[in-house]
Amino acid sequence: MSSSELREYLQNYSGPEIRIMEVCGTHTHEIFRQGIRNFLSPKINLISGPGCPVCVTPVGYIDEAIYLALEKNVTITSFGDLVRVPGSNGSLQKARAQGGKVKVVYSPLDAEKYAKDHPEEQVVFLSVGFETTTPSDVIAVKNAIRDGIDNFAILTANKTMPGAYEAMASSTDAYLYPGHVHAITGTKVCEDLKERGVSGVIAGFTGEELLTALAITVRKFSEGEPFFVNAYPRVVTAEGSPAAVALVDKFTQPCDAEWRGIGVIPASGVELREEYAAYDARKKFNIPAQEGVYKTACRCGEVLQGKIKPTDCPLYGKACNPDHPVGACMVSDEGACSAFYMYGGNNL
Amino acid sequence: MCVGLSAKVVSVKDGVAMIDASGAKREISAELLDDLEPGDYVMVHAGCAIAKITDDDKSESEKLSKEHLS
Amino acid sequence: MNDCITLAHGSGGRKTNELISELFKKHLGNAYFTADDAAVLPRPEGRIAMSTDGFIVSPWKYPGGNIGRLAVCGTVNDLACMGAKPLYLTCSYVIEEGLPISDLEEIAAAMGETAREAGVYIVAGDTKVAGKGQVDKIFITTAGIGVIEDGVETSGKLAQPGDAIIVTGDVGRHGTAILLARDEYGIEADVTSDCAPLGQAVEKALEVCPEMHVIRDATRGGVGTVLYEITEQANVGIRVNREDIPVAEEVKGVTGLLGLEPLYLACEGRMVMMCPKDKADAVVEALSGCKYTKGAKIIGEVTQDNVGKVVMATEVGGMTYLPQPGNELLPRIC
Repeated sequence: MSSSELREYLQNYSGPEIRIMEVCGTHTHEIFRQGIRNFLSPKINLISGPGCPVCVTPVGYIDEAIYLALEKNVTITSFGDLVRVPGSNGSLQKARAQGGKVKVVYSPLDAEKYAKDHPEEQVVFLSVGFETTTPSDVIAVKNAIRDGIDNFAILTANKTMPGAYEAMASSTDAYLYPGHVHAITGTKVCEDLKERGVSGVIAGFTGEELLTALAITVRKFSEGEPFFVNAYPRVVTAEGSPAAVALVDKFTQPCDAEWRGIGVIPASGVELREEYAAYDARKKFNIPAQEGVYKTACRCGEVLQGKIKPTDCPLYGKACNPDHPVGACMVSDEGACSAFYMYGGNNL
Repeated sequence: MCVGLSAKVVSVKDGVAMIDASGAKREISAELLDDLEPGDYVMVHAGCAIAKITDDDKSESEKLSKEHLS
Repeated sequence: MNDCITLAHGSGGRKTNELISELFKKHLGNAYFTADDAAVLPRPEGRIAMSTDGFIVSPWKYPGGNIGRLAVCGTVNDLACMGAKPLYLTCSYVIEEGLPISDLEEIAAAMGETAREAGVYIVAGDTKVAGKGQVDKIFITTAGIGVIEDGVETSGKLAQPGDAIIVTGDVGRHGTAILLARDEYGIEADVTSDCAPLGQAVEKALEVCPEMHVIRDATRGGVGTVLYEITEQANVGIRVNREDIPVAEEVKGVTGLLGLEPLYLACEGRMVMMCPKDKADAVVEALSGCKYTKGAKIIGEVTQDNVGKVVMATEVGGMTYLPQPGNELLPRIC
């Protein structure tokens, strides 16, 4: 179907009411950027789930990074959107204004290269992200070993999706699975979830791909059986990337992880194995445990689970906005509240 | 951020590939894809080629809608 | 002359005079260029427009231009936005001690060349030298005067619902060129700055449409920021079609890789014009005949509804707001 036919299909959908959770920040962002929510049939409810790695990064993690920048004189290297995330007492942007060295990089590999070129500085890369990003983080550590440098480490807050799929399953009727996570992990986890009654469709990232995946989702849902469709076969294969999985497994092990707005999900985190402790910033710099103080009125957890709309939160658009984010979902362009705010929600 | 932009491989050497995304060129790691060759199209994430691309989104969508939506 | 700028060049003494007579006069000299305390100029007929702008750019040189060309274009274009024909400029330099004289010469040469191209006279100047580290190589401030043709009145507050919105070429080039020149993200692309004087293009557009409502130079905040400014100033809404917004392929590639919105990247040779719809095609045609506005295009219209908002019709037939301009531009990578 052409994109206008797909649009009509989604506009005119009259099957049973459905909740679809997108678990990828880029899907959230792109759905808003394309104005897709505004033409969907009222029977289709999209929920922006916890798939923005920046948004689910806990307050205590930002505090750790700020501690390194301000107390240990470490050069922090990071993806751009993380530097605005509020910690207990300000963001990395603020730490930079206070004299901390914070450098935005395109890739963890560039952070390692920077460390190699600046042997007089201690460099830490803020390693956040899901299955898609973790291989790059691991390759950065591998390169540091290859280059024989001892001034590079990563501060891990990497996460994996399967635990979140399980934890959020009751909040949705079907997942729009993140295409690039499954380009790494393959499709087995989705097949397994289908066996347990959890439905979903893997989606790509262009407007056309998102419409196709959404149309397939509502069509399959109206047929009544649990389903799984890979609607991104040009990139996602059944086996994914065994090379990436093996590499990540060699360097890291699962750990419990806190998801901002949701809480701790067992074994949903990733940390470096003991033999690579020299590259683990937490161990290398003996970072004291950071409790992380949350603003209590923030209702991001409920937004991430689709229990309330961003506009139902008392802070939304007032105390909490993209310039002064309070909660998880307002901090990155890919967060549910931020995208809702910037792109006008469902108002058009 | 997951980029939906496909990039063409220009050259590959020692696990490093030069890619071209609509005229924007950059070196990325080719470590995850050992059979990468110039002319291949890849998805790039955080400085790594994570997967080869086997089709464009329009014809993929056509095939999928034929299979699942007709 | 020494081969780099020293504090003595800013002392007002012999070294300063040497710089003026050997370098600035050579490149910027003209019949009105003064050696006295102020330039004395013939009085132009009609209303005059006056503007000033400071220029800081790192690096000072980039594909498609340098800070000298930028400093002339910036003020010339600001004047043109009011429908004025730019006549005279002044320029003031703050130079960091240690700047190679050859760099200053390159900058002055670009200023002279651009001024001649734009048909303006640089009539007075000032040079100060700051200690090492007090400025980043060189800061330039220009001020200018232009004369406005009778009957022409442009202002952001004059945008009317129903007006067509025109951009004079592809967007985001200057910002992308600077981003690439800084080489922070390891990306290479063949993108040159759009920096250009647009006085002639504005003149041609006003010839076919003297009742033009708005002309606005899209500089720092890009076209997106201009559109939002106009909605506030004129108390209107704006609707644009994303597919109609011209973006060079390479700019798409770079912004795609980094997750940046081209509408918020700086331009230095692009204007946004708003005029009655029935004149829009004639304006585009007039612009198409000028050197720097060949890519002019209608991108949308001014609306009565959605006051204060810029609404975007998307590629898949959706409607969404263009996000408000705001934060520091950061690549949205992860």
